[in-house]
Amino acid sequence: MKILVLMKQTFDTETKISLDANGKIDEAGVNFVVNPYCEFAVEEALRIKERLGAGEVTVLSVGPERAETSIRQCLAMGADKGVLVNTGGLEGGDEFTTAQIVAKAIEKVEYDIILAGFQAVDDGSAQVAPRVAELLGIPQVTVITKLELEDGKAIATREIDDGVEIIEVALPAIFTAQQGLAEPRYPSMKGIMQAKKKPMERYSLADLGLDAGLVGTDGAKVKIVELSLPTPRKGGKIVEGEPAEAAQKVVQLLRSEAKVI
Amino acid sequence: MVPSRPLGWYGDTYVIMWFLMLVVFAVFGKGVYDRYRLWRLGVDEQRFAGFGQGIKNVLIHGIGHKRILREGYPGLMHLFILSGFLVFALGTLAVAVQEDLHLEIYQGSFYLILTFLLDIFGLAAIVGILMAFVRRYVLKPDRLDTTPDDGVSLVLILGILVTGFILEAQRIAITADPWAAWSPVGNALAGLFAGADNGSLKGIHQLFWWTHLLLTFGFIAYLPHSKMFHILAMALNQFFLKEKPAQALAPIDFSNEELEQFGVSKVEEFTWKQLLDTDACVRCGRCQDNCPAYLSQKPLSPKALIQDLKAHLGEKGPILLAQQAAARQRGTASQVAAAGEGAGAVLEKALTGEVIQEDTLWSCTTCRSCEEQCPAFIGHVPTVVDMRRNLVMMESNFPQEAQLAFRGMENNGNPWNVGWKSRADWIEGLDVKTMAEAEEGEVVDFIYWPGCAGAFDNRYRKVATSVVKLLQKAGSKFAILGTEEKCCGDTARRLGNEYLFANLVQENVEVMNGYNVQTIVTSCPHCLNTLKNEYPQFGGNYEVIHHSEFISRLMAEGKLKVAKELGAKITYHDSCYLGRYNDIYEQPRKILQNIPGVQLVEMERHNYRGFCCGAGGGRMFLEEHLGERINLMRTEQALALEPDVIATACPFCLTMLEDGTKAKDVIDHVKTRDLAEILVDVVQ
Ligand code: SF4
Ligand code: SF4
Repeated sequence: MKILVLMKQTFDTETKISLDANGKIDEAGVNFVVNPYCEFAVEEALRIKERLGAGEVTVLSVGPERAETSIRQCLAMGADKGVLVNTGGLEGGDEFTTAQIVAKAIEKVEYDIILAGFQAVDDGSAQVAPRVAELLGIPQVTVITKLELEDGKAIATREIDDGVEIIEVALPAIFTAQQGLAEPRYPSMKGIMQAKKKPMERYSLADLGLDAGLVGTDGAKVKIVELSLPTPRKGGKIVEGEPAEAAQKVVQLLRSEAKVI
Repeated sequence: MVPSRPLGWYGDTYVIMWFLMLVVFAVFGKGVYDRYRLWRLGVDEQRFAGFGQGIKNVLIHGIGHKRILREGYPGLMHLFILSGFLVFALGTLAVAVQEDLHLEIYQGSFYLILTFLLDIFGLAAIVGILMAFVRRYVLKPDRLDTTPDDGVSLVLILGILVTGFILEAQRIAITADPWAAWSPVGNALAGLFAGADNGSLKGIHQLFWWTHLLLTFGFIAYLPHSKMFHILAMALNQFFLKEKPAQALAPIDFSNEELEQFGVSKVEEFTWKQLLDTDACVRCGRCQDNCPAYLSQKPLSPKALIQDLKAHLGEKGPILLAQQAAARQRGTASQVAAAGEGAGAVLEKALTGEVIQEDTLWSCTTCRSCEEQCPAFIGHVPTVVDMRRNLVMMESNFPQEAQLAFRGMENNGNPWNVGWKSRADWIEGLDVKTMAEAEEGEVVDFIYWPGCAGAFDNRYRKVATSVVKLLQKAGSKFAILGTEEKCCGDTARRLGNEYLFANLVQENVEVMNGYNVQTIVTSCPHCLNTLKNEYPQFGGNYEVIHHSEFISRLMAEGKLKVAKELGAKITYHDSCYLGRYNDIYEQPRKILQNIPGVQLVEMERHNYRGFCCGAGGGRMFLEEHLGERINLMRTEQALALEPDVIATACPFCLTMLEDGTKAKDVIDHVKTRDLAEILVDVVQ
């Protein structure tokens, strides 16, 4: 089985975001990692391959040159090959443009099933994989926590409010991973050593035959007007006193200060 | 008449004796050679520190019993037996020189003194053997496990000693020895044979002579196959000893592209020295008696660990040797395989997982207590870490929680995975410069290294802050690395993630060598040990000082003066990495003793017997699912003294013991505090 994983490289989850002089997010000194949700997808892909005893896991990422380190990280975990679509300078795209690029790149890859993180921890828009599914015209099941494959079809468990939904779809299809799908492994030394030698296909946007006007800031449907940091949270308030008395005070504060009741 | 005693009574049967002796020596030699071949299965390790040093070690620790005598009963017991053994070896040699080389030495005052010593030490050895019997079969301390070999060995030695004395007594009775007074034990026993007629006495004497001889020969032939082999193996181990094997673990050369195995996955991947260790272990159980993992009912006993490896080497080694021999004779692959045939199960047994359980390996806190107590100077910790390396780097198989720590160290240079940019936030308002800021012409005598805990852990930040205040009061000129500092890597290395460790070290060394750092003062004993003893492996050579050492030095120099009294009963908990790893026992105590009003009380387990808090070896970042909680046990040991304060000098100890007082619900009146925090409140 050929398994394709869509992976985004994101800021390390502990990064303190700051803005530069131009009001853009400052990337200086930031660690880049595999988006944790994509990591669940990679792990699930590897487990499927291990269960079946055969198959190939390809990891595809769209981003600047630095995204290669994250692809290598996935290769170190055990994926077989990488595909990097280098956006080289045309980074200002949005979910729409990224989905266009991914869909175009997928033309160069064989697949029976596609996995991705359900969202990225940076912008959290959860759109790219569903859009790709639409562009490819294949089914999608999002936010899954369990995936079972039978010949030609898949049974996925997805999280919904107050419960789970169990969905059967025909393959090929796209599945997006929620936490709980598969706890990612830690690469072994063997994995790290081999990752250096595993194949990596590289494409520029031009290689894919994409018009510069369709990608990057120009092609994006979303225009960023301004970025600002959230106002720092104020310290909490501790209400002292006997329980009954304190509860009364809390209710009062919720009304007068927090204005939530 | 020159004092001596008649020898060679049975000279006409010596031919038989010589023949037997040849056989016995052959059996002995073969036995020793077989063990030697097993050790040689291991990989190389440079342990030779010169003959002089090696012999000195054997004299101090083997003959001199330096460690063995730390414990009264077993120590004396062993001293008695060994000294008897040595004097007898000397006596036998003297007789042999006289009889076989015909050099007349066994006479005169030398004879008298020797015969006297033989009697005294023979008696001591009997006392020692009886003590051993009582201990093993009556007192039965938990740490001893008893096998038939133990009984056989004791009976053999006792038999040799007793028949020796009977022979002497009979000889005295037969010859009416004029110097019998120099053989007090034999002389006293001679009374037993008084009145017997000389003829039949001589017959019995001959019988005993042969019995004595056969027992001795039996002892020699049996030695390489029994626990008594420790006489040789332990001496060798002492010859090649490293005082603290755990202090600096062996690095791996990751630039070597040919390396395919990281860590130890098969017994033959240990070094020859680690394999020799398994034979040097005499199952005394001192290690187990002092192992926090064992004492808290974890599935780890350092003694059992070494013995399990020994048993595995014993079953697998001969098969490997047979395969090697077959391969040497240019056998075909199938012949080589045939040499291992029927042994498939043994060959396939996984070292980590089957021979040694994974939980066993993860239970170790690397506290070094086993190593410190072991009279054979066995390096348990490197052996444990070598197997952890295989689990982590080859199999990616380790307790889940460790992954968080690994990720944190990788991405943010600290095991808590706090964003690295905030590493210097703790100095806000403290008027401390970073090296980057101090570069512009400022004098910096040393860097202060708070470690990950000092930089990120809310509780320990208070300690780092106290240290900084003390340093400032004393007028020290220092800076910190700030966001350029990364985890020292101790946790990664001891959890078996050598690759991560090597990366962290490389980055730290690059930064520090770039600033030409010479001296580091640190608050974390784990950083101390790694920076001081392990960084030199990576080109990082610094003078590294723990804050307790540095502060006590400042006090001695009069740069810090205590201005207030502190009426408090304080017990100091030794950090393993400060104490056992780096011999810093005195300085922390000195700080406390120099505060008027402080009553310093010691727990039963202190100094080199100090009991781990449970957090070493990366265990700080792992859950403790099995057995009792080590930190609670240690807290209870401290609380038994009813202290006002439990003093610590390590971030992990502080966390573990403070958590202990919380769990025991005494946190309100028993404070856990670092020495620096205690001191900063009372200095001028
Ligand atoms: S280092 Fe400590 S925990 Fe580990 S085996 Fe030795 S005594 Fe036990
Ligand atoms: S390892 Fe050392 S301390 Fe432990 S039982 Fe063996 S000889 Fe004794």
